Amino acid sequence: MVSPADLVNAIVSGILVGSVYSLIAMGLALIWGVMNIINFAHGDFMMLGAFIAYWMFRLFGLDPLLCIPLSFGTIFLLGVLVQKGIIDRILEAPLISQIAATFALVLIIRYGAEAWFGPFTRRIVTGYSGEVINLGSIILPLTRLLAFVVSIIVALALYLFLTRTYVGTALRATSQDREAAQLHGINVSAMYKLAFGLGVGIAAIGGVLLSTFYPIYPEMGAYFCLLAFIIVVFGGFGSVFGAYVSGLIIGVTQCVSALFIMPTLKDVVAFLLFILIILFKPTGLFGKGG
Amino acid sequence: MMSTLLEYINMVRRSPIILAISIVLLILPIIFQYLNLPFPANMLFLALMYAIAAMAWNLLTGYTGQLSIGHAIFFGIGAYTTMILMLYYKITPWIGIVISGFMAMIVGLALGVPLFRLRSHWFTLATIASAEIFRLVFMVWPYVGGSAGLQAPIVAPEEKLYYIQYAGPFIYCYIALAILAIELIVLHRIVNSKIGYYLQAIREDENAAAVLGVNVFKYKMIAMAYSAFFTGLAGALYTIRFRFVDPFAVFDLITISVYIVVAGIIGGIYSFIGPLIGAFIFLPITEYVRVEIVARFPRYYGLHVCVVGIILLIISMLLPEGIYGFLEKKGIIKHKFFEEESRVVGGPENE
Repeated sequence: MVSPADLVNAIVSGILVGSVYSLIAMGLALIWGVMNIINFAHGDFMMLGAFIAYWMFRLFGLDPLLCIPLSFGTIFLLGVLVQKGIIDRILEAPLISQIAATFALVLIIRYGAEAWFGPFTRRIVTGYSGEVINLGSIILPLTRLLAFVVSIIVALALYLFLTRTYVGTALRATSQDREAAQLHGINVSAMYKLAFGLGVGIAAIGGVLLSTFYPIYPEMGAYFCLLAFIIVVFGGFGSVFGAYVSGLIIGVTQCVSALFIMPTLKDVVAFLLFILIILFKPTGLFGKGG
Repeated sequence: MMSTLLEYINMVRRSPIILAISIVLLILPIIFQYLNLPFPANMLFLALMYAIAAMAWNLLTGYTGQLSIGHAIFFGIGAYTTMILMLYYKITPWIGIVISGFMAMIVGLALGVPLFRLRSHWFTLATIASAEIFRLVFMVWPYVGGSAGLQAPIVAPEEKLYYIQYAGPFIYCYIALAILAIELIVLHRIVNSKIGYYLQAIREDENAAAVLGVNVFKYKMIAMAYSAFFTGLAGALYTIRFRFVDPFAVFDLITISVYIVVAGIIGGIYSFIGPLIGAFIFLPITEYVRVEIVARFPRYYGLHVCVVGIILLIISMLLPEGIYGFLEKKGIIKHKFFEEESRVVGGPENE
């Protein structure tokens, strides 16, 4: 029997971990929405972000949370380069070439990292890793609480950037109608670079946040990428803020269902849900339709 | 049997490249056996196994235009069916292989009903999700051994033939060759029949095909049935060769589903034997790296897959029609697969 306290704890930890999923999914939704490219390598950019935090911590003792700007910046630049060198050339190609190229990126990044760093599992253990905050019967691990706070800040910053700045508005315009945006003097090619860089950069922040409480290994991107796909489809294709909310929902669903069924089946339920949504409600919860 | 043989002879007569490939493939295992070269023989077996799966995949993806990255489902179902029949029911893999194909076909048709409602990348995403579901379910299903997998029994010498348990890859190469030959004939017949034209019409423009009276769903299901059947045979081959199946190996997204796609894209998905050529190009390279570098220095595990990624990236950006497709387009390789047999496609559905 599940006690109410367990349930509340599951919901709270679902929200905390879901907020990190949300960040990764937001990046994916941004790229998908603006460029209509499915970035299968998304989870692997996230993994690179986590590894940057790990090496900074190992080599210089830099706190992972302080590493966020560095991780974001590096992966942002890498994303711009990948966009310029690879994605830009396949934008007009048939679907299969696009998917083949992003899967090639998956193989290169994931297994290149595995060959380079070694197939080991690593952890970042900081002074506050084991700290918990007790609020009555609710237990809040400090690292996850910090991740939640950072995730909200990043999501808010992205929201303000997309709605309050000229560049952000131009980015949204490009996502709505590429030709019209170009006619209005928006540099679409620069927008694509920005979207891809921002998308994978935000995923890298998610990776850094994960690295504070989750083991780091080169293949970690696989699971989070599939999860991000489920979240983006659930939230409504291309809807960045839908992705944030549905990330929280998926996080809570995962943690609550873990009380009742075994962990492997919990992922089966998530994938079934994914197929059912694209079959019967492809616009998702917050989709724009069509 | 006779007519199949005649058709093969006819095919060989019209296409010198098929003749050359057939002869080389028939002789290679003997050479490897006599020179005692187990490593290239094993490479040949793997290339044949992936070629069978990639040729089957191409019927659904290259001809019908439905990009599947979930063919590990059919591969895994085929592998598990042969293993379970052998382990639990003592049924010889000689029969098990065929049943594996039909099991994969049944699963393919059952999946086709919901999945063919989806188009373009939605279909692709759904195939990936389906393959993950199969892997996860097989990981927790006790009947199929869970994540520990199933191991074939070690049999007495007099039962070797019954259970197809021989040392080295020699005999398995010939079984794979036989399956590949049957597959080539069957697929060749399909793509040159009315069905083949309907499938390509669906690939080019699904709505236009439907308007012209092609039953889109029916022909997608036909492509799926053959595609799943032969991929299931490739999975069965895996079981009889390696005598061990677990969900991580046979339902793997990268080393099964994506590798099949890689073989197709490297060879060329718009040509008949492109995927076969593709499997024979990339598999020896990755196996070479795996055995020469990764097996010697386990620290560099993953390098062989990274190499596949680099090849895939180069091909998909520079030669989107694949290596064989490119040579075909440039007129360097000529064959008459389609020209001679092309018939005028009659009115809709009047077979």
